[in-house]
Amino acid sequence: MGIPEGIIGHHFSSLARQNEAMRLGMWLFLATEILLFAGLFTGYAVYRFEFPLAFADGSRHLNLAAGTVNTVVLITSSFTVALAIHFARTDRPRAAAVCLVLTILMALAFLGIKAIEYTEHFHERALPGKFYAFKEVPIPGAAMFYSLYFLMTGLHGLHVVIGMSVLTWILWRTLQGRYSSRYYTGLELGGLYWHLVDLIWIFLYPLLYLI
Amino acid sequence: MSEESGASGHASATLHPGGEPGKHAHSAIPYVVVWIALLFFTVLTYLTGKQHLGHWALFIALAIACTKSALVALIFMHLKESSGMTRLVFVTSLVFVGLLLFFTVGDVATRFTPATPAGAPFGTERSQPEGLLEHEMPE
Repeated sequence: MGIPEGIIGHHFSSLARQNEAMRLGMWLFLATEILLFAGLFTGYAVYRFEFPLAFADGSRHLNLAAGTVNTVVLITSSFTVALAIHFARTDRPRAAAVCLVLTILMALAFLGIKAIEYTEHFHERALPGKFYAFKEVPIPGAAMFYSLYFLMTGLHGLHVVIGMSVLTWILWRTLQGRYSSRYYTGLELGGLYWHLVDLIWIFLYPLLYLI
Repeated sequence: MSEESGASGHASATLHPGGEPGKHAHSAIPYVVVWIALLFFTVLTYLTGKQHLGHWALFIALAIACTKSALVALIFMHLKESSGMTRLVFVTSLVFVGLLLFFTVGDVATRFTPATPAGAPFGTERSQPEGLLEHEMPE
């Protein structure tokens, strides 16, 4: 079995060059994603500087256990994606598919835990902006903490949903036998996106849950 | 950039349609090590974060988070074996994140009342009144 037909675009001189271009393009996209989140992190920094007490107090009313479990879930899902790429590039597509299924299940678990947390916030009326009516933290700046909390975890959650969809599509292609030691760049790029989702959460976890 | 130096380590593995693709050339052990290290650092963040170490808390949390992300970027995301070009893209994005944070936080942190224009949201007076410092903090 050679390189699958139609894999190399006619404007690339070799598969290696095409792979490099794909990888570079993906990293450029990830750079824009990093800058997108950087805007929110900057907003967070400014308001945390201005309302240190409200941020610490708001943080201590979050569900720390849920946040910690979700951190472990995301880190492990990142590990299984790395393994999936490893198995594809060592010609073990079935093992790669199993790893991708595990990753998607962990993504679902992450969203489920997040949904439980959001439900708690809604019952406590710890809501963003003018809807904030959380009786346990009635101090200025607390509404801002919860606004940023919902914006950051919400945007991150959207990325989890997108990443999960991309990985499902890649799982389908893996089952079709499209990835092997000769070509696995598509799988690798989907994995890169998932790792970015993990990277963002690595910062969100201590900044939101452990002030 | 020549083909050899331009293509990354694993791209060159895909280049040989003839020989046995390197089943043993690539090991999963680094991924297992990084996974265990990430779990260790998560426990460390959790334990240090719960101590509420005052001014040091943020510094420690960010130092651990940066270490964890470095592990993910270098090993899981293969930056360690990537070409200089992809690394440059990543590092450039980090430089701009640094610039954004440094100047924005620097501005807010160095304001004092006489220098603050009327109607500015920050720095006109203490946003967190003294009385609130006695507000009960749950542990």
